[in-house]
Amino acid sequence: MVRASNFFEESAIIIGIGEYHIGTEPKATIGLGSCVAVILHDETRGIGAMAHVMLPESNGRSDRPGKYADSAVPLLFDGLCAKGSRPQNITAKLVGGASMFAFFGNNLNIGERNIKAIKEGLQVRKIRITGEVIGGNVGRSVMYNPSGHGKVNIKQADGTCQEV
Amino acid sequence: MLLTDIQLDAIRELGNIGAAHAATTLSQMLMSQIEMSVPEIKVVDIGNICDHIGDEYVAMVVFSLQGELEPGGYIVLLVPRESALRLTNTMLGMTDMEREIDEMDRSALLEIGNIMISAFLDGTAELLGIVMMPSPPALAIDMAHAGIESILSQMDADVNEVILFKTELHSEEHRIKSDILFMPDTRTLNDILRLLQELVGSVQ
Repeated sequence: MVRASNFFEESAIIIGIGEYHIGTEPKATIGLGSCVAVILHDETRGIGAMAHVMLPESNGRSDRPGKYADSAVPLLFDGLCAKGSRPQNITAKLVGGASMFAFFGNNLNIGERNIKAIKEGLQVRKIRITGEVIGGNVGRSVMYNPSGHGKVNIKQADGTCQEV
Repeated sequence: MLLTDIQLDAIRELGNIGAAHAATTLSQMLMSQIEMSVPEIKVVDIGNICDHIGDEYVAMVVFSLQGELEPGGYIVLLVPRESALRLTNTMLGMTDMEREIDEMDRSALLEIGNIMISAFLDGTAELLGIVMMPSPPALAIDMAHAGIESILSQMDADVNEVILFKTELHSEEHRIKSDILFMPDTRTLNDILRLLQELVGSVQ
């Protein structure tokens, strides 16, 4: 475990809650709690996509497709395919889905439910998960650079880092 | 969500009163002077919350709003980790800063949060003439954004903008900083605005 002083690449696009990005640019999310960063990576073309998913189900809402697990997965997958990626070359990594507050709120285990809904979406499209750091009760920041062989760096509040 | 300048001013004033009550209790607990910043109030898109609340390491004491406005939204006391240690050290008569936050600190933080936020809500509820009570508190010591987004995911799924109401309380003597974040649900906000409107109307 190392201490990261400059964890985020300067050029990284910060993906806020409910947002997404598809392309070759480096991407980051700051402080995931119960939300999940879904990362789809195409190693052959050095391109990828990331969404900051907040809730499992869109229930017909279409204004923010990156916000919900059931709309974010097809959005990223179809977006990569539209940019020329072959479905069989796309792999996935997942980070987040923690439970930050024990016994709090009505929407129980929202992190777990986010993860489950995302995995269902991946399975339907036969997208292989090559790495995940999920669950638990800690917040995580994520740095992903599509040109870095799909490597995803993860930082916790205390500064400890890991790579998947 | 569009708020007029008058509405923003009214909420700022309401928060000011609440924060002054919270500051008084903190001042009594620390037996020290507490300075209070002018409250900041912003309507922020959830996608841009990371511009206002980042990955800093903080203690968060969280309450849901209960009483006549239930479900009413959330109120959070945010204390940066170093400040949290200084705060509990001051309360518990200790000086060690190079330690982990332990069970004793956690229960002290829950209690301090409870006292301050109860005072905040007492102050605002008194003005509005309604009952607003905090739920039992929950605590997390982690990245601020991670805690806040977890709270947002408990709110209505249609919420795409939140009101961030932020006041800083500061003890020069003990070098302790804290923020109070007030995130009312849309319905609560509308109720509060209506009550404030009536209040202003009755004065004129």
